[in-house]
Amino acid sequence: MGETVAGGVKLAWQQMGEGPDLVFVHGLAASRAFWFAQYALPLQDRYRCTMYDLRGHGYSERAAGGYSSTALAADLAALLDDLGIERCRLVGHSYGGGVALEYAATHPERVQALCVMDTKVNALQPRQMLADMPYLSPFEIDVAERSGIDWAVEEQIGLRFLEVVARLKAGNAELPSRDAVTPFGEGRGAARTARAWVDLIDTPGVREQLLQPGFSADELADKLRNMPLLLIYGELSRCMPSCRSLAALLPQAKVEVIAGGGHFFPLSHAASVRPRLERFLAASQL
Amino acid sequence: MSASSDQLVGQLSELLKDFTQDWDSEFEGEMTRDTRLLADLGFESIDIIQLVVAIEQMVKRSKLPFNELLMKDGRYVDDLSIGQIADFVATKI
Repeated sequence: MGETVAGGVKLAWQQMGEGPDLVFVHGLAASRAFWFAQYALPLQDRYRCTMYDLRGHGYSERAAGGYSSTALAADLAALLDDLGIERCRLVGHSYGGGVALEYAATHPERVQALCVMDTKVNALQPRQMLADMPYLSPFEIDVAERSGIDWAVEEQIGLRFLEVVARLKAGNAELPSRDAVTPFGEGRGAARTARAWVDLIDTPGVREQLLQPGFSADELADKLRNMPLLLIYGELSRCMPSCRSLAALLPQAKVEVIAGGGHFFPLSHAASVRPRLERFLAASQL
Repeated sequence: MSASSDQLVGQLSELLKDFTQDWDSEFEGEMTRDTRLLADLGFESIDIIQLVVAIEQMVKRSKLPFNELLMKDGRYVDDLSIGQIADFVATKI
C-alpha cells in the first residue's frame, strides 16, 4: 500500500501478489475495494495486482477538477510510471473502463491486453436513455419513484441515478429494496461515501468533465486495432450501445455478455466473470 | 479465547481509534470485542481494505488469508466484530 502524487493529487494504491502486472481501475463512486476480494485476492497467485483509488475516491485526494477520462488516464500513467510498471494487462469497470480505454489508446505499447467491463464510452454513446434498457430492478423503481425525475427523458440516466441514490443515502433514507449490489453499500459507512460523492458531483465543472468524450471512434479504432480486447457487458445494462459500437470498431474484440447481469455484474456475478477474465489474461501471455 | 486474541483486541481498538477519528462517527465509549466495524464504527468496504493492510503492518505479516474472514458464500460478510478479527489474526500468526 502506498501513495503517489499524480498531477498534484495524492493517489492511494496497493499491490498484491507476484507475476506479470495486472492493473484494475474502478468506476465512479466506488474504490479499489471493488476489485479486492473477488479479483485481486484470487488472482494474486499468478499476477502482481495493482489497484488504486481514482482521484476524489476512496483514500485518494479530491481535487477541484481533472475528472475527465482523459485526465484520469494521465493520473494512471503517472501512477504506473511511479510504480515502474512499463507494461501491463489492464481491467476497468464502468467509468474506470473509460479511463483504461483512454490510457490504452494513448499508450498502446504499454498495454498488453485490455478488458473493459460495462463502460459507457462518452464518444460512442453520448446519451444514455432509459430506452437503452427498459428493465428496472425493484431498487431502481423505488429510487425512481422518490426522485421526481422523468426518467423517460433523462439523457444521462446512469450518472443521474447514481446521484439520486447518493443524495438518498447521504440523508440516511431507508429504501425498502436492495439489489444484489447497490451503489455505496449500506449503513453509516455508505452515508459517508455517498456524501463524498454528492460533494464531488456538486463541484462546479465535474459533471461536465465526467461526460466529456475522449478519443473519437476513428481514433479508438486506429490506436487499439492491434490490442487484445475483451468486452464484458451485462445483459441488463444500459451500456450495451457502447459495447456494440466498440465491437464494430475493433473486430478483434471478444465480447462476453453476462446473462441477467446489471451494471454491477463484476461483483454480483463474479463467479462467472472471473474465469472469463482469467482465460483472456492467460491467452495474452504469448 | 486465547490470551493473544485478547491482546489483539486491545491493539486493534487502538488502531481503529486512529482510523475513525476524522469520521464524525457517532460511536462513543470503549471499543470491545463485540464492537462491529460497519454497524458501530461506520466502516465502508474501502475502510476494511485499508484496515487489512494496517493489521498486516501491525502484526508484521503479509499475505494473511483475509478472504477467509471477509468473504462468505462469494460475497462480503455483512459485518465483522473486533473479536472476530482478533480471533482470526490470532490463529494465523
